[in-house]
Parts: sequence; C-alpha cells; structure tokens
Amino acid sequence: MARRVVRDLSGHSTTMATILLNQAERSTAPLAPAASRVSGSLALDFKRDPLSGATFLGESAQEPPLRIVRPFRLEDGSVLVHLHNVSGGLLGGDSLRMSINLAAGASVQLTTTGATRVYRAREDSAASSQINHFNIGANALLEYVPDPIIPFAKSRFRQRTAIDIEMGGGLFWWEILAPGRSARGELFEYECVELKAEVNANGRVIAAENVRLQPQLGDLTSLARLGPYRYWTTFYIVRVGIGAPTWIAAEQTMRDVLTRFHRPGEALWGVSTLPAHGLVVRGVTMGGSEILGNLRAIWTEAKRLLYGREAIPPRKVN
Amino acid sequence: MASASTDRTAVDSASRLTDLRLLHLADSALPIGALAHSLGLETLAAHGVLVAGNLQSFLQGWLAETGLLEAVFCRESFGLAGAAAESISSERWLEINCMLSARKTARESRIGSLTLGRNFLSTVMAIEELPSLGKLLALSEQGKHEPELRRGAAHYCVAFGLVAGLLGFGQRRTVLTYLHQSIAGMVSGCQRLLPLGQTEAARILWDLKPLIVETQELSAAYACDDVFSFMPLLDWGAMEHPALSTRLFVS
Repeated sequence: MARRVVRDLSGHSTTMATILLNQAERSTAPLAPAASRVSGSLALDFKRDPLSGATFLGESAQEPPLRIVRPFRLEDGSVLVHLHNVSGGLLGGDSLRMSINLAAGASVQLTTTGATRVYRAREDSAASSQINHFNIGANALLEYVPDPIIPFAKSRFRQRTAIDIEMGGGLFWWEILAPGRSARGELFEYECVELKAEVNANGRVIAAENVRLQPQLGDLTSLARLGPYRYWTTFYIVRVGIGAPTWIAAEQTMRDVLTRFHRPGEALWGVSTLPAHGLVVRGVTMGGSEILGNLRAIWTEAKRLLYGREAIPPRKVN
Repeated sequence: MASASTDRTAVDSASRLTDLRLLHLADSALPIGALAHSLGLETLAAHGVLVAGNLQSFLQGWLAETGLLEAVFCRESFGLAGAAAESISSERWLEINCMLSARKTARESRIGSLTLGRNFLSTVMAIEELPSLGKLLALSEQGKHEPELRRGAAHYCVAFGLVAGLLGFGQRRTVLTYLHQSIAGMVSGCQRLLPLGQTEAARILWDLKPLIVETQELSAAYACDDVFSFMPLLDWGAMEHPALSTRLFVS
C-alpha cells in the first residue's frame, strides 16, 4: 500500500496516548491471522500562519484505509477536513490509529464522510480497534464533529481516545453511539463495544469515560443503563483557562437550549460543568435522525458563548 | 497457656472494637450530610422513570456500574494508607480524586460526593487522632488544583477507603461496608421519594446483599483507570437535578 510519510508525528504526548496504546495492545481478544488484519493510520499536523492567521495542514502521514483528501478553508480562517475510511468501515481485527496535532493558534474542524460502520467480526478475529490522539496547542481550537458509530450485529469494537489541551485551547468534540442498524430493526445485537476517552487540560484530567457494552451479558435496556432509549450521545465543550463562574452560567444557558430538544420518552438531554474548563452535554434518545441537528444547535450556541462567533457546520449530504 | 489465652482475648477485643468503629463510620447517623443527597435519583423519581416497582432492578444495575467504580476507588485509597504509616502520598491522593471527579460528569453529584468526603474526613479528624491524615490534608491544601478539590475535599468513597485503611479495618470489609451503606442510603432516600414502605425497603436491602458481595469481589479485578461504568440515565438525572422546581435533596 502506498504510504506518504513526511515525518513521524506519533510522539506528541507520551502520557495518555502511550498508556492507551499499551492497553489496546494488551487486548485479551484473540489475534487474527496477520493476513486478515488491516492496520491504518493518519497523522495530521496543523499550523497557523503568523502573517495571515490562517490555519494550514503542515505535515501528514496517511496509511490506508484512513485518508483525507485535502483541507478546505472556512471563512473564519480555520480548515475543514473530512476523515475517510476507504474500506467503508471496520472489520474484525482492523487496527486504526489517528494522531491529530494542532499547533498554537490553529483552528481545525474534523468530520467524517459518513457513519463509522463496525462490521460483524469473524469468530476468530480480534475486536476492531481505533486509537485516537488529539493534541490541541495553546489557543488552538478543534471541532471534532463526526457521524455516528454504528456497530453491526456480532461486531466487536474498541476505541481509545486521548485529548490533550494546552492553556487557551478549545474543544468541541462529540460522539454518537447507535444501537445498531436500527432502520433494519437491529438493536443491541453487537457483541462488545468499548469506548474509553480522556480529556486533559494542562496535564490534568478533566473528563474521562470508560464504557464496556456487552448487550448479551448486561442488559442495556435496564433502567440503570439506557432504559427505553437507544442512542447515546456525548458532547464535550472545553476552553482551558475560563473560570468556574463562567461555566456555571454557561451550564444554565445551555440547559435552556436543551429544553427545546427534551421530550420524555423520546429524548432526554442534560448538561453539566466539568471539574474545570468546560461542560459536557449528554443525550439519550429513541431515534437518531434528530441528533446531529440538535448537536449543531448546541454547538452554535456554545461557540457563540465562548468565542463570540457562529459555528460553521460542515457541508454534507446528510 | 494463660498467655496465649490472654493474647486471644486481646485480639478478640481489638477485633470487636474495630467492628464497632467500622459500623459507626458507615452509619447514616454519622453527621456528614449523607441523607441530603439523592445523587440523581430525585430527578428520575420526579419524572416517573424510577418507581417503587423497579427500584431493586435499578439498584442491581447501580452496583454493577457506579457501585463497582466506587468500590475500586475505595480499594485504591485503602491501599494508600497501607503504603506508609507515617506519610501518605499527597500526589497519588490528589490523582485518585481527580480521576474520580473526571468520571463523575454531573456537577451536583460530583460536588455532593466531595462534600460528603470532606465532612467525613472532618468528623474523623475530630474523633480520632490520625497524624498522617492531618499531614496529608495539609499538604493537599497547598497544592494547586481545581477549585472543587480545595479545602480538603475528597470523594466520599476515596475518603472512606483511606480512613478505613488508617484505622486498620480489613480491605474486603471496608469495601463491603461502603457498598452496603451506599445502597442503604439510596433505599432510605427512595422512601422519601417513592411510595416505598419500610418492609419492602428492608426486603430490597436484604435481597441485594449477595450482589453487594459479588461487586466487592469483582472490584479486586480492576484498577482506577480500567474500571468500566455506564449509567447514562442516572447521569441525566443528576445533570437535570438543578432544574427541578421542587427539591427535597441537595443533589
């Protein structure tokens, strides 16, 4: 496979990223034969032009199936990049790594070209895995706004994400987990989905989640978990250096926004301040069709509050 | 023989004293404000999500998720006490509390847990001399960390574990006791929120005991950074609690 390497960008942080890599490689799931495993990686390094203030992609390394086409300039000087998985999804045993670095002042929006499909795994294959590391430099801004993750029946998926943010850095990061191919009536038929994420601000963890969903072993429809709801959404809104009183006020503002989407029995949305530097929004919903629209509205309001300007949602077919 | 018998008596006596102290520290009557926190249950009850009929099932899920998480952190901080009698690592203490704060995304529940932990530590310091604890809290206050973790705040399960370790309680019994009193507290709170009679409440707590034991045993298999927990509905309840127009509980 062709591999365009300019510089190895894997060493931006040796803290959480290293720990996540080690954990993923200690997987107890059986290893698939080497021939059936795909290893792909994407490393992108964004910088800010000191003269124009515009962001540009400095260096990149792309190993299929992960690819990007090119960054698109947005009217506020940031760049939009679509993340492609050219194989269409993740198969059992696939191992993908993504390392995104934003130098000081850079502003980047990342999205996907479609849902992340996690296909059924063969009996003898390992879980598919994706390891992501985002490094956000001082006063940089990352807006990571992907489509949902859809784990198909009999799939096994493990994702690890580490986000490191320096002083003044900002983050809008969401993730949507579908119950399966719900339009086909496939609900919670996957074998295992593990999602682990950590957000660090100035070297200190401010948000963490570690979730293992095994519908056959632990009923996800129990009241202690999703109850009657099917989709689970998380949205982190962070700007390092803003004080607690501002976040408390922002929490109430965002709660007022969320009341528009709140429909007991159909959709529940909540918001809360993190221990420092940000907010988290969580939603549990019956359907998936309105989630992205709701998230864009929340994003728009949050960006106006924190940056005094509008969010620019990526232009997409969906 | 007389000496061996005397030794046995002394050991029995010490063991009974330990039992009583552990019971006392886990009692809901300990003045730390535990009865003021529903940790999100009030919202679920207010919206008709949690009812008397599904409470036991809910608590079973709680044990498997949040209960397991807190048991692991309780166990970890218990281990801090055992590491060195004279000085406890303030760096690791802060790290454990930060890690748990990061996992507790709902502000009111997170602060509720920290408040209970601080009150617990203050109460213990007032009734028992623990120089290493005093030294730890003094060191912690000097560090630069997030506002929520200042002034001696610590998560309740973490504080409980550390104190239990310092007082020489067994680790297994400490975690069991913590889990039991957590469940008992929630059942008690639900008696104020739901039409739940005393006999039914007692039956629920009785029937959950085997699962409490299982959760304690399972907690030994995890470390703080690899224990799983997934309770999105309770998270939502805790996040939305500030929006309730009428509230019996602080969180």
